[in-house]
Amino acid sequence: MKTSFKKQGKQVVLTLWSGILLMLSGVLVSACAVVKPYQKVNLNDPDMKLSAHKTERFETNYQVYREGASGANGGQTGGGCGCN
Amino acid sequence: MQLIMKYFYIILFVFSSLLSFGQTASQDSSKVYKKKVLEAVEVDFLMSFYSQRGQHSAVGGGIGSEKLTDNTPTLVVNIPLSDDNVLTIDAGISAYSSASSSNVNPFYTQPVKTQRGSTIIVQTGASQRGAANLETSAADDDVNDDDDMVAGPKPIGSPWYASSGASKSDALKSLNISYAHSSDDRNEIISVNAGVSKEYDYSSLSFGAAYTRLFNQQNTELSIKGAVYLDQWAVIYPTELNEYSLHGGDFLNSGYFSGVEIYDQDMNVTTDAYNPAAFSSMGNSNRNSYTASLGFSQILSRNLQISVFMDLIVQNGLLSTPYQRVYFKDRSNYFIGQSSDIAYYETTANDGVFHLADDVERLPGTRFKVPVGIRLNYYFNEIITFRGYYRYYKDDWGLESQTASIEMPIKVSQKFTFYPSYRYYIQTQADYFAPYNTHLSTEQYYTSDYDLSTFNSKSIGFGVSYTDIFTSFKIFKLGMKSIDLRYQNYQRSDGLKSNIISFGFSFVVDK
Repeated sequence: MKTSFKKQGKQVVLTLWSGILLMLSGVLVSACAVVKPYQKVNLNDPDMKLSAHKTERFETNYQVYREGASGANGGQTGGGCGCN
Repeated sequence: MQLIMKYFYIILFVFSSLLSFGQTASQDSSKVYKKKVLEAVEVDFLMSFYSQRGQHSAVGGGIGSEKLTDNTPTLVVNIPLSDDNVLTIDAGISAYSSASSSNVNPFYTQPVKTQRGSTIIVQTGASQRGAANLETSAADDDVNDDDDMVAGPKPIGSPWYASSGASKSDALKSLNISYAHSSDDRNEIISVNAGVSKEYDYSSLSFGAAYTRLFNQQNTELSIKGAVYLDQWAVIYPTELNEYSLHGGDFLNSGYFSGVEIYDQDMNVTTDAYNPAAFSSMGNSNRNSYTASLGFSQILSRNLQISVFMDLIVQNGLLSTPYQRVYFKDRSNYFIGQSSDIAYYETTANDGVFHLADDVERLPGTRFKVPVGIRLNYYFNEIITFRGYYRYYKDDWGLESQTASIEMPIKVSQKFTFYPSYRYYIQTQADYFAPYNTHLSTEQYYTSDYDLSTFNSKSIGFGVSYTDIFTSFKIFKLGMKSIDLRYQNYQRSDGLKSNIISFGFSFVVDK
């Protein structure tokens, strides 16, 4: 059991670092493109929000219950409910 | 209840400390002019109506009705505490009724006459005891007083019909409070949150914290978030296994099954053959989940932006659902009910016999999940916007999935927007899944829950949104900001179908 936790811990750390590196490389790549605040009219449209709609939370919850996968969508990740 | 109050006081203490911190911080920075993060109190009333039907009930070991309805009134209040600080209170109820869950105790009798002469549905002696096991309260102190009932005919049950057992409906109550503090230049946001939720057999306490940093003239955003869920089951077993755990080898002669006929596959009455020896009580009732989330958002042009996010989720504890039955193909089958229905057990023609479980599902005590998602939004023109989402998911139970969805908001007028959407999902099964009556008793882990099977699903729907930025329609001091309506039709390749209608009413409180 302890070995399993250690192995899982290593997996977590490795994946975490890969994620951080991926995102930092994104920051570096992005540094060349800058949209000024006064050019953000279209980006500020409510439909351009990089998140789900408020009412979408219920669908996301049912998907967490009815499907094996969860997370990476701003909804539940598997904790807090008797779901998978 | 005491536990919930304890959680409530802890949350209250944490947030009152944070509030005082927030107010001090705002005093320190009061000389700098800045726009408020949130101008006024906002109130969202959300509601959804969900219904589902299917034929692979996990409680029935992969067979039976999955009919379910769920209503979820929810209230979200955002309160600006100062220029920089916002408190959010999110409280909701999810009230559901489920045929599948009702069959934790599937047994009941046909209508019989009471001594007073009125015809009613009688729960069997067995069922009454089963219900008592679920309720853990005064056994015969119910509204439908059954003291005058005569002994009815033999008990029947079917995985295809809902039972009148105590577990047929329940309500999940939840409360989440979060607090967010933005820096003076609005390039940093720190937030914390805590929550509790409770339903009859499951309770949860959660904590989380997040840090967001904006760079590059707010063209780039990085965020990191951590959350902990400390959950606990009130463990409930299927009635027949519960009796086995209470009375051991003698359970056919005492308690629930006393005097009840049990049939084998060939419809012969047996006396002491049913013996779920594989079953043993769950040692642990805790389930802990730890989540770390990374997010990266980038503006790519005046009309295009993208975000990439990844969660790392580690779960441990009781990850199986203790009332979901499993049947082994290398064990003899035993039934209670109308023996003539045994031949039709796997069809809806079976309205009177129930297969006694060999065990409940057993799943590993740990799970590691990695979902990675991408969102891409493109502003075509003043009328049309494109919203795309893709997710890849993998875990160490062998389950792998991909999700893709598109939504195309169309501005019909200044106030109305129409949102057609489509979502496709596909997954491979977990290593421990097998359908009804196909597991072997020699396996270490097993489940017949079709949520962990191989399937794909399609979801198609639309939304309509009405927005009035001037909040001209008022209800007392509440100005209506927007009304949202969504409908989704969901179809899973194993036959599960569902519909959901959601409403959202957003108000701004006048100062």
